[in-house]
Amino acid sequence: MKFIISLVAFVLFAAFVVKAQDETVLSGDTTKQNAMLSMRSPAELFKSCARCHSIGRGKLIGPDLAGVTKRHSEEWLIKFIQASDSLIASGDTTANRLFEENEKLPMPRHDYSGDEAKTLIDYISFETRKLEADPSFLDNDFSFARPSNTWPFIIGVLFLLFGIIDWAFLKLIRFKVVHIILILAGLAVCGKAVTEEVIYMGRSQGFEPDQPIKFSHRIHAGDNEIDCNYCHTGSMDSKNSFIPPASLCLNCHNVIRNGTNTGEIEINKIHEAVESGVPIEWVRVHSLPDFVFFSHAQHVNVGKIECKECHGEVEKMGRIQQVSDLSMGWCIDCHRTQKVQFDNEYYLSYKQQEDILSGKINEVTVEEIGGLNCQKCHY
Amino acid sequence: MEKYWRSIEEFEEDSAVEKLKDPEFPTEGLSEGEITGSGTTSRRDFLKMLGFGIGFVTFAASCENPINKAIPYLIKPETIIPGNANYYASTFFGGNDYCSVVVKTREGRPIKIEGNELSSVTAGGTNARVQASVLSLYDSFRIKTPLKNNQESTWEEVDSDIVGKLDEITKKGGKIVILSSSVISPSTQNIFADFNKKYPTTEVIFYDSVSASGIIEANNINFGQPFLPSYKFDQARLIVSFGADFLGNWLSPIEYTKQYSKNRKVSKENPEMSRHIQFESTLTLTGSNADYRIPINPSQEAGTILNLYNRIAHKAGRATVTVPESTVNIDSLADELWAAKGQSLVVSGSNDINIQLVVNEINHLLDNYGKTIDMSMPAFTKQGIDSHMDYLTKQMERGEVEALLMYNVNPAYDYQNAEAFTNALAKTQLSVSFSDTLNETAKLAGYVCPDCHYLESWNDAQPKKGAYSLTQPTINKLFDTRQAQESLLIWSATGGTTEASENKVENLVKEDAYYAYIKKQWRSNLFPKQLKYAVFSEFWDNTLQAGVFTVTSNPSVNVYSAANMADCASKLKTPEPGEREIEFSLYENIGLGDGRQANNPWLQELPDPVSKVCWDNYLAISKTFADKNRLKLGDIVIVNDIFELPVLIQAGQAENTVSIALGYGRSSAGKVADGVGQNAFRLVQSKGTRLYSGNDIKLVPTGSNYIFALTQTHHTLHGRDHVRSTGLKDYKENPTAGNEAHLFAEKKKQSLYSEREFKGHRWALAIDLNLCTGCSACVIACQAENNVAVIGRDEVRRKRIMHWIRIDRYYAEKAEDPDVYFQPVMCQQCDNAPCENVCPVSATQNSSEGLNDMIYNRCIGTRYCMNNCPYRVRRFNWFEYANNDKFDYNMNSSLGKLVLNPDVVVRSRGVAEKCSFCVQRIQEKKLGAKLENRELMDGEIKPACLQSCPADAIVFGDRNLPGSEISKAFANERNYFLLEEVNTYPSVGYLTKIRNTKSEKNKT
Repeated sequence: MKFIISLVAFVLFAAFVVKAQDETVLSGDTTKQNAMLSMRSPAELFKSCARCHSIGRGKLIGPDLAGVTKRHSEEWLIKFIQASDSLIASGDTTANRLFEENEKLPMPRHDYSGDEAKTLIDYISFETRKLEADPSFLDNDFSFARPSNTWPFIIGVLFLLFGIIDWAFLKLIRFKVVHIILILAGLAVCGKAVTEEVIYMGRSQGFEPDQPIKFSHRIHAGDNEIDCNYCHTGSMDSKNSFIPPASLCLNCHNVIRNGTNTGEIEINKIHEAVESGVPIEWVRVHSLPDFVFFSHAQHVNVGKIECKECHGEVEKMGRIQQVSDLSMGWCIDCHRTQKVQFDNEYYLSYKQQEDILSGKINEVTVEEIGGLNCQKCHY
Repeated sequence: MEKYWRSIEEFEEDSAVEKLKDPEFPTEGLSEGEITGSGTTSRRDFLKMLGFGIGFVTFAASCENPINKAIPYLIKPETIIPGNANYYASTFFGGNDYCSVVVKTREGRPIKIEGNELSSVTAGGTNARVQASVLSLYDSFRIKTPLKNNQESTWEEVDSDIVGKLDEITKKGGKIVILSSSVISPSTQNIFADFNKKYPTTEVIFYDSVSASGIIEANNINFGQPFLPSYKFDQARLIVSFGADFLGNWLSPIEYTKQYSKNRKVSKENPEMSRHIQFESTLTLTGSNADYRIPINPSQEAGTILNLYNRIAHKAGRATVTVPESTVNIDSLADELWAAKGQSLVVSGSNDINIQLVVNEINHLLDNYGKTIDMSMPAFTKQGIDSHMDYLTKQMERGEVEALLMYNVNPAYDYQNAEAFTNALAKTQLSVSFSDTLNETAKLAGYVCPDCHYLESWNDAQPKKGAYSLTQPTINKLFDTRQAQESLLIWSATGGTTEASENKVENLVKEDAYYAYIKKQWRSNLFPKQLKYAVFSEFWDNTLQAGVFTVTSNPSVNVYSAANMADCASKLKTPEPGEREIEFSLYENIGLGDGRQANNPWLQELPDPVSKVCWDNYLAISKTFADKNRLKLGDIVIVNDIFELPVLIQAGQAENTVSIALGYGRSSAGKVADGVGQNAFRLVQSKGTRLYSGNDIKLVPTGSNYIFALTQTHHTLHGRDHVRSTGLKDYKENPTAGNEAHLFAEKKKQSLYSEREFKGHRWALAIDLNLCTGCSACVIACQAENNVAVIGRDEVRRKRIMHWIRIDRYYAEKAEDPDVYFQPVMCQQCDNAPCENVCPVSATQNSSEGLNDMIYNRCIGTRYCMNNCPYRVRRFNWFEYANNDKFDYNMNSSLGKLVLNPDVVVRSRGVAEKCSFCVQRIQEKKLGAKLENRELMDGEIKPACLQSCPADAIVFGDRNLPGSEISKAFANERNYFLLEEVNTYPSVGYLTKIRNTKSEKNKT
């Protein structure tokens, strides 16, 4: 037995190195050999299929295999995989139809055992399920979007209308005070709704658009604990903390080809973009108006502000969401209280240094070094 | 105190009256109906508008926020960090201006040109044309594909056609001519030589639109070599210039301004400066800066120079020549020159060989060769010999030239005999133009092989012997263009087209053919001349990064052999005093130069520093001439029956001379330049060399009048003493001379407001009026840096010019021969800013660093601030200048917008704007220091105006920093503030102008 195991190990090694496939010559025991081969991963097996088929990426030479298990029975599939030509010759209608549809190119025989073919079919159906992956894995269990004012507004209008109509025509309520209260209440509710809408005009707190790639920060920054700066390199030395170039994604995804939720589909989009040269058009989430200057380097590198202070708990987000309203009031509020990293030697010439040395003050806020000046952000 | 004035009209009339006639904001903001009183708004109209308004607001409020796309790089170039700028050293060369530059790019597009401080020639200086050249890159008039008979073609087709014809012509021995403007690139010259090897019947002819043929040929006679010497204005204690506008346009103005300003820096410790005397007919930039300026007619020049020669020859004990006595008294000048032997410099802008021979002789007698004139470093910026071009035209007319390849020339526009040239061009079998725009000549060429803009090109340059620099591309080619050098390489390669097409694919992935060629040249020619780098790639990378490379060569010995002065004198026409014909002189102005960048809206809208006219050329006439002929500002005159031009009465104009700027009147330069002004090249006279003056002129008034886009009377300051000046002698005795008012104002300083405290920085800027030459490089630099809009001639007439920095020009004293002062004025960033208290929405506020902040997004456009600003430095956006087809310049097309600085917001309609001291640069450098955890260095922050200045006239820095340059400048006795008596406490200081005049002024 020991001898057989060591022989098998040797054969495996040899097969790996020389990529020789002719094990039958070396081993006479076919059952053992089959058991060994079935240990090969189905993904490995699929590589030979992938020359002619894709899963979910359209027809190549042969048809797209996405959902193939729904179209055909498992038994039929095994037969077809093992020897499609004999199935066609046997006059099987489905096989003949496929043969006709695919320009009479026969699928070559595969010497997979029944078990092997079965695991391969399982693999294809699993990948198909990933393809149909419910994008709900991107959903967040929180939303910073402001509650809609539509219903309060409608209710306000109804109050108002009812008050006026009843006062003038219906006269269901005897006391005019009630009418007046109704009208005033209606006006107040509508007024509040309108005011809030106007204040929030142009802001997009809670904005959570679908992106061209189903990218999850929860998986990358949360589960895998990748540092923000690994991808968003600009935050340390540029005003933009730009979206990483696709080539940077490939640092990992050259190896990791299979996503947890979406299989190859979404990751392949990166490869396709790099290969085709067509860039990925992300939807911008955090967007400041043109007349605002904002520098990430100033805040992240110099000011030592944590990313999450503005961007929220990104590591818990599937779809990225705008957490802060990015309004001027929000900026100013922080500038009023935020401590400056005054130990930076740049500040040596500032007069506040003397007060710190003499112990008169312990800290300097952004406001005290001119952080509320208009032209710090607007020019 | 001297009387200062800004225009002849003001000089003559009471300025208060002038003001009433011409209000600063005429009928602005009112509709036609409102002005005439016919417009009414009825109740119904009001209700309609109200209804529409409410409806629109509801609609707008219900709109979703726009979806913005964020498109990252697929593969980010390692050196590019989006949001940060990259800088590449390169070289600009166009006509007069050689400049080693540093190009600022953002995300792969060039947006700003700065001077390269490492250059031994230009040392960080720039001028307006260099600054504006970045906009020419994004000119929509550039040719986008090769053309065959003015039809779009492909490179393959054009190449095979041209090579076929060239082969055919060579086989039968026909003549091929490469007509080129002066080439300073050694590699290009080698390419011409290689081309000659393949096509041995090729001749290269250099032709310069504004030539220095006179100097070159005179030197050929004196030294046996045709060349331009290097003038050293920094070595000269006494500079005498006869019509050479060396600070503006003559030969190498950036270099000369740098040198000149070195000798004009006056301080208590070193109260010496050069003395500059200028003889000229039209008031040029150089003449404006002269300590003493004598207006002479062009015909008087020869006589004056010969008389000067006689005086000096007499002192030197040499033979004198017979010449009528000069109308100008030059005795004391000769004395001064003789006293400053070896430290003086006499130059002449004339293109007459004989005048240049006399000037050479004078310099020789004064022992200036080897001291203020460096013969061992010849300059190569002008190489054209005029007679060659004239001969070429004759040959072409006779049909002797079979093929003409035109590189960087536009003779159909700027050759004096353009008609003869264009007719002769039709007789050539093959005509090829390498022009990057479809200019007057390219239109007539059979093939146009568009060259790349210099910002898309590889090239090298040797403006002077031993001073090399490199040009490198800073952006991918915008259009399907190809460098002329590459075209020539392809055509002269054996195998011709087949290799060319093979190369093309290869070039896309590998490198440019010309790039490889330059590298090869440098490896074999220049690499062995240095010892610093052992490996070529290291040498190449470092040189490319620095942009410049200097080879110190052994000074060559040039033996001077004198020309026969009597002979020269007899050839020179010296009119007897009393002879009075109208003469003309042609000059290049500061914006357009010879007109090659005429389609650049920035340059068109740059007011001429002296006349303050933009968007036009004109006939400059003297006051006396105007009175005699009853002409007034804007009267249109027919010149020589060729074209009509309006007149401008120019103070300081020589009495009998009219002057016209070259570079205008383009007919095929693009949408901006076409039809602006008239082409004065048609008046150029050819007498062996091309003469830019003469007396062959006839003027006929038409009786109609034209309104100039004239900026000098905009933004008035009501005649207070804005410029303060003194004589050098007075300054030596008392450093506060001329600046007494400052001491007085300091004493009386009081304010209702409590004095503000600046705990961090306190930014301030100082301008040395003695160094500022008025060259206006800062105006264009500011425009490029701050996205300042171009508004066009009509809007400038309405006094709405948007420049954030303007150069005020004041005349003083006599109208015939005034002293001229330049004063750049930008926002003074007052501590007690009058604009701030009147803003109803607090859109302009004081900052904790001494700036006067302007917040566009808060501004509602009341213009109270503009009315309350005593300095007139605020500008109002009357229209949406971007994205508006009525302002068809550069901000309404996606191509033109590429030049915009992404760090500065493009202002929209209805907001006031002004200089911010380049706050984006301040913030950038502050952040840079914080990132490096160090203190900010003095001089680290350079506003755009300061960085562009070739004269180093501007100082910027932190007043709170002890020992900083700016605090020194503010402590200088010469420092004063504009309108300091109104207690605005400005942050911009001015240092008084000092003129090196003798106290007895009329002696010279």
